[in-house]
Order: sequence, then structure tokens, then C-alpha cells
Amino acid sequence: MSESALDRTARALDLVPYLLEHQGISIPELALAFGVSEKQINDDLILIHMCGLPGYTPLELIEMFYEDGYVTVYDPQSLNKPRSMNKFEATSLLLSLDLLKSLQTEQIAEEIELLKLKLQRNMRFENPYVVVQQSEVSPLIARLEIAVRKSTPLRINYATATKDSSSVRDILPLEITLANGFTYLNAWCQSSLGDRTFRVDRILSFEEIEGTVISAPIGEIGSFEASAKIDIKVAKSARKFIEENRSIIANMEEDEQASEYLVKINPIDSEWLIRTILGFGGQIKIIEPLELATELQNRAELISELYKG
Amino acid sequence: MSDRKTERLINLTLALLATKRYLKKSEILANVFGYEGTQEAKERMFERDKDDLRSLGIEIEVGDLDVFFEDEPGYRIPQKSYELNVPDLTSRELAILSIASNFWNDSIIAPDAQSGIRKLQSLGIPATFDFEFRMKYLFENPSALLEQLTQAIDQKSRISFSYESSSLIKRSLEPYRIVFWNGYWYLIGMDLDRKAIRLFKLSRFLGEISISKKKNEFEIPVDFKASDYLPKSNIDSVKTATVKIRNGAGVLLRNRGTLLSEDRSGLESDIYEINFENEEQFLRELIWHGTSVELLEPENLREALISLLKGVRS
Repeated sequence: MSESALDRTARALDLVPYLLEHQGISIPELALAFGVSEKQINDDLILIHMCGLPGYTPLELIEMFYEDGYVTVYDPQSLNKPRSMNKFEATSLLLSLDLLKSLQTEQIAEEIELLKLKLQRNMRFENPYVVVQQSEVSPLIARLEIAVRKSTPLRINYATATKDSSSVRDILPLEITLANGFTYLNAWCQSSLGDRTFRVDRILSFEEIEGTVISAPIGEIGSFEASAKIDIKVAKSARKFIEENRSIIANMEEDEQASEYLVKINPIDSEWLIRTILGFGGQIKIIEPLELATELQNRAELISELYKG
Repeated sequence: MSDRKTERLINLTLALLATKRYLKKSEILANVFGYEGTQEAKERMFERDKDDLRSLGIEIEVGDLDVFFEDEPGYRIPQKSYELNVPDLTSRELAILSIASNFWNDSIIAPDAQSGIRKLQSLGIPATFDFEFRMKYLFENPSALLEQLTQAIDQKSRISFSYESSSLIKRSLEPYRIVFWNGYWYLIGMDLDRKAIRLFKLSRFLGEISISKKKNEFEIPVDFKASDYLPKSNIDSVKTATVKIRNGAGVLLRNRGTLLSEDRSGLESDIYEINFENEEQFLRELIWHGTSVELLEPENLREALISLLKGVRS
């Protein structure tokens, strides 16, 4: 690993005031907080130990003590306060706060605005980021978030993703994730005895089920109904399909001349795929397997029947 | 080698921070540990070290010494600009910041957010846990572009880049703001060829961007508001469609629609009125339901739907 002297200097300057406020911290904890190896932290400490103010007698050196992997600083010399933030640090924190605000319901919006003002007061650069309120934050989110935090079992009425129907399931909510503009709830599903991911906008309603104990087994991973490998062609004008469904794409090649992508899809539920592709009106074509391509045509034919006459 | 340079840079920082008065260059070279070699070599070393510290964002003030010293400039690091100063940050606020900074997982932003948090944690504010939040953001990896764009926006330097689109590939832009919206990253700026403010999706940038060497090449208009340039999502743009839904089907559509007439026989279908914003997306949703859902009105939407189906069959 070749790290520049400059990066090391920056870290060393941050280490001393951090140590001052975390007296007796262990080397592994320090390594974790600074995102480097324990060896690196050890080397840094040895180096810092030799630094100080002109004179460089023991009185003028940074005085610290480390034994058995625990570190204490007695005299930080002039490094007793943390260094001001650089623009990347400050703006990334402002961005993080805006994200948090966009997810939370009203409750802490004001608090966050106040906090942002505090951070910006001594900033010498402008914030280049704008976070736009998630347009589809479901009204259920706030309640779901509490359920996740308290591990409350829930009974949900869920509109199935692959078929047009709904089912009632008992779940233990584990985590809420946001991705591709959708909000998902990862949960242990007692009804299907596996880990499942639910799209929050498909949860029609839910209730907390008091007194019920559901505990998720550790290490269980849900599985998809596997189908054969599927190859499709996606016109560039339909790239939204790719952006929204990155997780199912196994491989993608660009055909520049035809202005389209050749996409290999991981085994997934083919019913879902057909229904989704239909709406792209020919901008997505199924190449393999042939049965699926034919099925797509038949469906289009059937629906068209509705609109005749 | 790296050890010695690091050590010298730390010593120089400590010395310049500790002094209240300006230190002469000769004083620094004679007293700060690590300056070795000929006078010329020492001076070159010192010049480089100053640049290095400044590149870390450390301000080194140059001042005239009092009249008794000849014309030699003096140096010091003003404590006020060196030290992080966030007045009255509370424990709860620190907790909120820690949670917010955890959104980034292993994205490119994570190291910056983490080192920012570390500095705040070095302020001596007691840690509390009275704020908890269990949500995670997974997004399109924002890539190194973000850092370059942050830099360009801060310096007001123009950029040029290749962009995947059906028309113009090469773009020159005055970058205004980076927008995070519904899980995707965008850049808004003045498109210099089209002479209009445009929105660009970062995932469609091709290859590297180049940033002009000049600074302060433009100003962001005072009345600029990022939200004006995002595809509209407001009440004006909400349209309404009438849809026939077969019994037992269309659970999601029913959930957000208004029932107009119910089928009493219990065999056929109900009629719903449903609001939508994005036409393409709404049509895809209707088609997803297959033959269970029929679009009745408006007429132009019906035609659009029929032609989509034609597209599949051709």
C-alpha cells in the first residue's frame, strides 16, 4: 500500500484530537473509526509520538501512552481541537442530513434545518447538493419504521408483485431500504417461512399483531422461483426498464449501431417479466426462450381484443 | 521517506499553530525539526510543505514582521480558521448526524462523511443514543463524478463531457447543482450549446468529464431553483382516467382509485376513476394487468395504449 505523506499527515492531525476525546480507546476501535488497518494506526502512533514543538525535549513532544493496545493522550501540544472540515466532508454531511430529512416525516425537519445552519455558519464554500423530497414516500413509512425498530410483528395485506392478487401475510419487519425510487421492506415472512422483500407501495394495509412472537431464523435466505435464462433486447429509449431493475440483470452489452442493449436476465418469475415488458410497447423484445416471446405476442393480442370496436 | 515528510509536516503544523506572532522563515528552518541539507534545499522543502498543507485546506497566513526585522515575511496558522467550530452542537444533533452519515454504506461518499463525523466526535460532546432510525438508502453508486462536480461548482469552472442521448453527445456546461432525486443523481446546469438550463442524469455520463482550468467563469443566477428544472410533479399535471376493473383483480389500482359504479351482479367488473401523473408509466401499469383492466377514457390515452400493444405484435 503506498499512501501519500499528505494523506497520512491529514490522518495524524485528526487522530490526536480524536484520541483526546476518546481516552483509553483500543487500537482495533481506532482502526475501525479511521477506516485503516491496525498496523497503519500503530505506525501512525509511533510517528506522532516523535512530533512536537521546537525544542523537542520531552516537554515539547506530543505526550501519549499506549500499552496493551489501549491509547491515552496526556499532552496534545497545539493539536487540542479537531481541524475544520474540508468541503467534501462538510457537503457530504449536509447531503446526508437532507436525505434523512427527505425520508422522515415532519417531526425532525425543523431540527435538521437548524443543524444545517449550525454546520454552514463557518463554511467557506457552498453546498452543491440539492435533495428533492422523495415523491413516493408512503404514508405508512413512519409506522413501519417504528415497527422495524421495535421488532413488532405485522400482519400485512400485500398486493403480489407477480400476479394481480393480494394475500395476507404475517411478517417480522427487519429493515427498510430505498432503492431506484422505491421503498422496500425486508422481512422474515412467517407465511412462507423465508426472507422476503416487500415493496412498500404494494402494502395495501397492515396492523401490528400484539402478543404474537415471530423470530427470524439466522442465515435464512429467500429464493426465487427459478426459470431458465432469459435474453432480451432493450431499445435505448426504454432504458428506464434497466434502471429500475438493475438487480435482475446478469449481463449487459451495448449494440451501438442498433441503439439498443442486449441484456441477460437472472432467473426470475417469468409472469412478472412478461407483464412488465408488455407495457414497453415493443421497445423490449424477448429473444430467448422462444415460448416466452410467443407468450408475449399472445398476451398483446388478447388485450387488444378488449379495444376492438 | 514518507515517514520523514509526514513527521516534518506535522511538526510544521504544530509550530505554526502554537505561535501567536508570525514566525520568520529563517526561524522555521532553524528550529522546526526535519529541515535538512543546504540552505537552498531547506527553502525548497519549506515552499513545498506550505503548498501541501494548503492543499489539505489548512490556511497559512503570511504577514509582515515588525519593522525591526528586515523585509522577511512571517508565517502562522490562525487558530480560528484551523479549528472546527460548530457552536452549541448538542448530543442529540450529533446522534442525528451519525445516523445520517451511515446512509452511505460503501459508496464513494462514505469516507468523507465518516471523517467529517470523526471531527465532530472530537469536539468533546457526550454521545447519546436518543435518536434511532432504521432506514437504509441503496442507490446507484454515485461514482467519482460527484467529487469532481463538487469541485467544479465550488470554483465556478465550466465542464465538458460526453452524454448518452439520442441527439447531442458532447456537452459543455456551467454546472449549478447536483440533485439527488428518487434514488438517482442528476446535474443541473447551463447547457452552453443550447443556451438553456438542462437536467442531466449522472448515470448517462460517458467516461471522464473535463473541468476548465479557469475559475469564476460564471455565476449561478440568484433566482435559480433546482426544483424548477425537474420533470413537473404537481397538481396541475395530475390527469384522470376511467378504468374498468374485473372483480377480484386490480388490487393496487382499486386501492388508489375512486369507485364510480359498482357491479351488483358480482360477476363482472367495477368502474373506477384513477389519477395519474406520468402517462407512459400509467399505461405500463394498466397493461401489466392484462385483460383484467380496460381503459375507458380518455380517448387519446386509449389510442396510445392500443399503439403500444401494436408495437409488441409488430
